[in-house]
Amino acid sequence: MESHVISGLERIVGPDGIVRDDGELLTYETDGLVKLRSKPGVAVLPTSAEQVQRVVRLCHEHKVPFVARGQGTGLSGGALPHPDGVLIVMTRMNRILDVDIPNRRITVEPGVMNLDVSKAVAAAGYYYAPDPSSQVICSIGGNLAENSGGAHCLKYGFTVHHVLGVEAVLPDGELVHLGGPALDAPGLDLLGVLVGSEGTLAVVTKVVLNLLRKPAAVETLLAAFDSTEAAGNAVSGIIGAGIIPAAVEMMDRVTIEAAEAAVHPNFPKTEAILIVELDGAEADVSALFTRVEEVCNEARASEIQIARTAEQRARFWQGRKAAFAAMGRVSPSYYVQDGVIPRTRLPEVLGRIRDLSERSGLKIGNVFHAGDGNLHPLVCYDERIAGQADLAQEVASEILTYCLDADGSITGEHGVGADKAEHLPKMFSESDLDTMQLVRCAFDPGYICNPGKVFPTPRLCGEVPGPYRRHPAEAAGLAERV
Amino acid sequence: MPVATTTALLDRLAAQAGPGAAVRAGGDDDAVDGVQPRLVAAPGTGEGVAATLAWASSEGLSVRVSGGGTKQQWGAPGGTVDLLLSTAALCGVVEHRHGDLTATVEAGAPLRTVDAVLGAHGQRLSWDPPWPEQATIGGIVATNDSGPRRHGHGAPRDSIIGVTMARMDGRVAKAGGIVVKNVAGYDLARLLTGSFGCLGVILTATFKLTPAPPASRTVQATVDSLEDAASVAADLAASSLTPTAIEVAWGPARLLARFESVEASVAQQADAACAIVGARGASVVLAGEQERAAWERHAAHWSPGGTLVKLSTVPAELFATLAWLRDRAAADGLEMAAAGRAGLGVVDVRLDGPPEAQAGLVGALRERLPAGRGSAVIRRGGPELRRRVDPWGPIGDGMRVMMAIKRQFDPAALLNPGRGPGGL
Repeated sequence: MESHVISGLERIVGPDGIVRDDGELLTYETDGLVKLRSKPGVAVLPTSAEQVQRVVRLCHEHKVPFVARGQGTGLSGGALPHPDGVLIVMTRMNRILDVDIPNRRITVEPGVMNLDVSKAVAAAGYYYAPDPSSQVICSIGGNLAENSGGAHCLKYGFTVHHVLGVEAVLPDGELVHLGGPALDAPGLDLLGVLVGSEGTLAVVTKVVLNLLRKPAAVETLLAAFDSTEAAGNAVSGIIGAGIIPAAVEMMDRVTIEAAEAAVHPNFPKTEAILIVELDGAEADVSALFTRVEEVCNEARASEIQIARTAEQRARFWQGRKAAFAAMGRVSPSYYVQDGVIPRTRLPEVLGRIRDLSERSGLKIGNVFHAGDGNLHPLVCYDERIAGQADLAQEVASEILTYCLDADGSITGEHGVGADKAEHLPKMFSESDLDTMQLVRCAFDPGYICNPGKVFPTPRLCGEVPGPYRRHPAEAAGLAERV
Repeated sequence: MPVATTTALLDRLAAQAGPGAAVRAGGDDDAVDGVQPRLVAAPGTGEGVAATLAWASSEGLSVRVSGGGTKQQWGAPGGTVDLLLSTAALCGVVEHRHGDLTATVEAGAPLRTVDAVLGAHGQRLSWDPPWPEQATIGGIVATNDSGPRRHGHGAPRDSIIGVTMARMDGRVAKAGGIVVKNVAGYDLARLLTGSFGCLGVILTATFKLTPAPPASRTVQATVDSLEDAASVAADLAASSLTPTAIEVAWGPARLLARFESVEASVAQQADAACAIVGARGASVVLAGEQERAAWERHAAHWSPGGTLVKLSTVPAELFATLAWLRDRAAADGLEMAAAGRAGLGVVDVRLDGPPEAQAGLVGALRERLPAGRGSAVIRRGGPELRRRVDPWGPIGDGMRVMMAIKRQFDPAALLNPGRGPGGL
């Protein structure tokens, strides 16, 4: 990177806001997807929107690519640095700016941790709904970039349903405000497309979130089954009964054993367990919870445990949320996939994954959000055995084709990032991708904002053919042509 | 405008619009704000829509898109229109995957028809915008319109999971899919939702559905003042009850809170809601025919005639804003009524009276609303009012990107010209 760019950056963020030492930069060479590594040209740690704006403007002027990074917990290489670019590390922008209980809103900087949002409003009886498993260590900015979900999004939706407004720096350094504490700000829903754009459209510097009232009642049960098919039937039965639980999670034998080894949740030793949680008004929960128990029994549950205390509920969830990390207890390495299928195709796809595991000789654990069909197959391998890492990669890719065969998606919540960009054309046609990139061209025609992510091939953003007509707003002198 | 005769254009249009398409010259009934299109086409397939748009592009013809025609007077009055493209012939439910609680629907299908199909399996969209018999899925999505149940179930933007669209250059593109959880690629479905058709023509859309609840109750509370309505609404919203709707209607002040779930729950929650109202008003629990009638009376607020201004504020400031409006409207000699989402801070204000007074009121209202904390958008109004005052009001600093997106999707500004948000 040219020295005048680096000195320009240092003038903006100060000497303690810039990292240029090769050894120190190694901290940032990967996110949660450790197989992809790339050391950034330089890293900056701004403390204000104004600093972010000046950094981005400098990048824009010198055509230097930049990548925004939060806590680096992403699982698709979305925050993988550009080797010749600037990594904008947002962790120092971590203040809660405003808590507005009467309006059920909270305004935060993007570096605030997900769980800290709920903690800040817990005493008032409120919480922030999206709860990715990494919520203790992942930040709101990253959640927004990935449109993060979590176990409870079956009922409450994803990040996009809970972000009301942002302040963001566009790739040319302009600061914009989209949405806000009031609903229905007039204009195109840029917020809707910005959330989940994986850091390719703007750098968010402030976020207004919606808060929910804590439910009056919560009931959680854990049901054991002799097969994943039987557990899947129970899920279909629950939904078929017109019940939308707050969460329905499934774990298979491999992941149950891993969780047991790691955090000892005392799960039944069986082929499949379901964790079903209902919440809401007390009368709803008590009536429907009985029905859920009946459905599990009809689906031949071998055992049903009901959480009688908050501690028991926490134990169920600890076992579930620790499942990824726990795989380290049963396998030297593993690769997490994030495909989605229509829930009714669950038995068929799980059968294919089982066959694939036998054929490849690699153990595959399954832990997933069963209510919404979001699979998290964990492909286990040992990188010390020659060729096994590559085999694991092939097996993981094969699973994505099963999801697409079932009319599903290659990613439900982890994002496409650098990891799955090559798979995107299997899901979308050239015309689909071209249309999506029209949006990219409007935000980032210079292609400097997190380049190389999401789309396998960038679209050229030249002048679009066709006669130009003066826009009414231009004619009225309200805006200039861009 | 090309010099070809209408007859010659009709022949060429018919060739493009494809099999099953209805093609004709525009008539008086097709006019909006006195502007009559030269040509009208209702293609029977998505491919027909795409080919029609490509042809219109090549001929340089401007296109207005219409579904059930219930919101043609929303937004800014457009200029001349060459071709009225109707989605009326695209009116099927493509697939109802009831086991997955999702459905894919063609854009021209009226909401009431769709819900009837979904109801066969005890499911629904849970939307209740005005005019469900005529309003189509495409139009409701394109305007992100909603009704009382938005409180519990969200707006169309919250349940859309996939879309197929035709671009002005004739390319067909999709985004999202048929699964409820999906972050692959950009979320064009949300970008199109509320875009007033200015980026592309929606062909089909896919939604997550909700089970139709077995029981319903509505608590109707009549209160003496807007101040009482404000405190009751705030207490309801802050309670741990789970209403699917909290509506306010003013003139005189009335609140409606709806509970939809199993019988035991709705009965208990309705009683709890009455207790919350307490001495601040006279509350009654409605069920069955009485409940249906109460909601029908409420929906009459959106009946034809009069101006509708969508007022949005943060929830806690809604009632103070309404009180200010009431006083100002009285001083200006305007009739005013309001109804809408008390828990969300979004209501439709209905105005009747001289257009210049209405324009003055809308302008003054906008001055009261700080950027990001509120807006006042004219949804429906006579052409004179919409010429006197920008129907959208200030869009803010995102406008430049919105214009850049419009230019990318429709560089010649032929599609619904001027009708998009902010006049896109």
